[in-house]
Amino acid sequence: MIRGKLSAQSAQKNRLALILAAVALVLAAVLLSLPVVQFTTSIYTKRSANTFVGDEKYIAAMAEAEAVLEQYADAGIGGSLKIDESVTERVNSKGETTSLVVLSVQHSVRRSGWDFLRSSLTPGRMMQALVLCAALAAVLAALGLRGGLDLPHRDLTGVPRGLRLAACWLSLAAVLLVPVFAMSVTKTFSRQVQLIVSGQEVAGAQLLLERIDHFLYNGAAGGQTAALVAGLRSGVTAQLWLLLPVLAVLLCAVILLYKGAIAPVIARGALYAFVIAASLLILYPFYVMFITAFRSNAETTDMYFLHMLPTKWVWSNLIDIMDRGVLRYLMNSIVLSFGATAIAMLCGIPAAYAMARMKFKGKNVFLGFVIMSQMFSPVVLLVGISQLMNTLHLNDTIVGLMLINAAFNQAFAIWLLRGTFISISPEMEQAAQIDGCTTVSALLRILLPMAAPGIVTTLIFVFINSWNEYTISTVLISTPSNKPITVGITQFSSFNMIEWQYLFAAALLATIPVVILFMCIEKHLAAGLTSGGVKG
Amino acid sequence: MNTILVRHKWEPYLWLLPSILIMTIFVVFPIGIVFKLAFSEISKAGIVGGFVGLSNFKDAVSDPVFGTVMMNTIVWVISVVGLSTLFGFIMAMVLNQEFKGRKLARSIVVFPWATSLVIQASIWNYIIKFEYGNLNNVLLNLGIIKQAVNWRASYQIEFIWECGVGIFVTIPFVTFCVLSGLQSIDAAYYEAATVDGANFWQKLFHVTIPLVRPSLTVSTVLNIIYVFNSFPIVYTITKGAPAHKTDTLITYLYMLAFYDQRKGPATALSVIGFVILCLVAGVYMMVSVRKEREDA
Repeated sequence: MIRGKLSAQSAQKNRLALILAAVALVLAAVLLSLPVVQFTTSIYTKRSANTFVGDEKYIAAMAEAEAVLEQYADAGIGGSLKIDESVTERVNSKGETTSLVVLSVQHSVRRSGWDFLRSSLTPGRMMQALVLCAALAAVLAALGLRGGLDLPHRDLTGVPRGLRLAACWLSLAAVLLVPVFAMSVTKTFSRQVQLIVSGQEVAGAQLLLERIDHFLYNGAAGGQTAALVAGLRSGVTAQLWLLLPVLAVLLCAVILLYKGAIAPVIARGALYAFVIAASLLILYPFYVMFITAFRSNAETTDMYFLHMLPTKWVWSNLIDIMDRGVLRYLMNSIVLSFGATAIAMLCGIPAAYAMARMKFKGKNVFLGFVIMSQMFSPVVLLVGISQLMNTLHLNDTIVGLMLINAAFNQAFAIWLLRGTFISISPEMEQAAQIDGCTTVSALLRILLPMAAPGIVTTLIFVFINSWNEYTISTVLISTPSNKPITVGITQFSSFNMIEWQYLFAAALLATIPVVILFMCIEKHLAAGLTSGGVKG
Repeated sequence: MNTILVRHKWEPYLWLLPSILIMTIFVVFPIGIVFKLAFSEISKAGIVGGFVGLSNFKDAVSDPVFGTVMMNTIVWVISVVGLSTLFGFIMAMVLNQEFKGRKLARSIVVFPWATSLVIQASIWNYIIKFEYGNLNNVLLNLGIIKQAVNWRASYQIEFIWECGVGIFVTIPFVTFCVLSGLQSIDAAYYEAATVDGANFWQKLFHVTIPLVRPSLTVSTVLNIIYVFNSFPIVYTITKGAPAHKTDTLITYLYMLAFYDQRKGPATALSVIGFVILCLVAGVYMMVSVRKEREDA
């Protein structure tokens, strides 16, 4: 009974999907036979100064323009030809009215999707791929129905299942190819044309010009083609964008055939789209840093530089910055971060241990003290810190930086460690104590080994904070040889000149190790940050 | 019992001693110095004179720039903390779903957090340059714009960019705090809500948000403190130019103390900043603790 009902349902769904797919295909075919791209060229331009509409000069110029129009029309250029006129009147300093008339012969032609299919230009290839994907998707989906229309999608197996899945991916590709086609018209094709027109040596330029001549001007332009396409403008029409929803319907139909439902698949797709978009945005600055680090100085500040990657990878930037002291800065940063981490842990572990395991008066006072120290970033206290360092004769030393970083990371270290310690049951330590073990050995022998993941997390976190610290170092350190890397890289950017490629090459070296470390602790860190505070 | 035996009453204090010592010397002393300097006369050369009452505060507040700077600071803190909390929350909700490549996505999200602020700020400073910035480059290449756009046409727009960069680098922190809260939620709550016929929004407002509120409180309080104290972004991108119009309190007091050598007003501003922070964070914590009690 139930079985029969299910089959009836799926038969209905599958039939709906088939109808949708068929309608979508027909609509797509119709849209493709309408013009999808409009090309406009200015064939001829005549500017005549001191000319007023209707006077002799105007009539002569107009006649000239009309002659050109006739000439091209007779040659069978096709499309629509018309004369544009623009008149600019101005009163000059002597009070006389002058007038400039510009007459131009405009040629505009529209091409449909099928026209593109037959051309062998780059956008044509994209259109071929698009049509192929959509058609193949339809064919495969139809072949995939071999198991019978009333087969529920859950029971799909083997070849029919594979065919329907392939149809899904193919129609997705068809949808994505629509914007790709648009870009290949407005970007790639225009770029090719520009390159030829600007007189650069391009392989196969002659062949390309011939093809463009046939595609746009019915082969009537001949040797004039290069001159004609110089002012070529191409625009995509609304019909092309209508293809998107139509192909989306096709996609939905084949998804319905494969999965039996659309909404969950779309939700899933939206999730992936969001994640991919967010990841791209997050990685974007890193992409910029990477490519700029290996460009030549000229390319980093070139206004007209329009490539996504360096034209020539200048790996020697890395060597150049070594000569500018970056190695020294990196060493300083390593010493500073290791020192600060060691001090922070040596002070933080005992404190966290007492906070997690011992009962004493003033525990909450200490906790409040720790939290309050978080309130102050070192920046607010900069004046005080620099005075203090002067008094202690630690100004301009790495040791001074170490101590300050350790002190300002105490709160976090205690916070994270306390959370870790609390999450570990004290039974083992209590048992050991009964056997006569001291608190020190209970910590060293029992708790620390068990808390190793939390300790490593804290360690790395403090290390990264010290490594990335910038503000205090920039105030306290004035001797170049004592600068950590974050301060050191700023030497590449002075007020009048920024050497971006060196700045980013050094930044790259400073970033890579930290990012790797951070990825190691990412999983534990967030849990520690909040749980330490909440579980109290 | 989750405590262990202590033999002497003073033992716990001994364990705390190193931590207390280092924090006293390097955190409490500077606080003391700042407070003392704020009420003292300081010459341009940095020689500290006697007690002058509130004259440093008067100096700092009466400067016409002070109003702009405070306004900027308020906009900066509210926009960065507010929007990064919103986006971070959405991000955490997404990363809490099961999907292929989730581990990779989590690793990528952590990237901006791991980078030094001064480096992130430098990169964005390059990206939005008008003449050769990478944003124009990419958009032109994709055909989205036809002509280079001046992304920093005025100082207001530059300040918006600074807020944007601030949001960008703060999102990962919120994401991970909320994510840890989300992962500790028992799936049974959602099952029960589903059985009761709750839709997505009802589940969000009646299950998810109340249960991640502790994590949100911690992340928001810490964020207010960090964002308020943030220095490198503004300092790298505009240095407060023109005429302190894009400065926040922190960059302004840095300029006063170390460029203009006016340590008196600078320390007065430090004190003002500290008081504001204590007030805001205290009020937020009190409100959210009360909310938690009501919910419980």
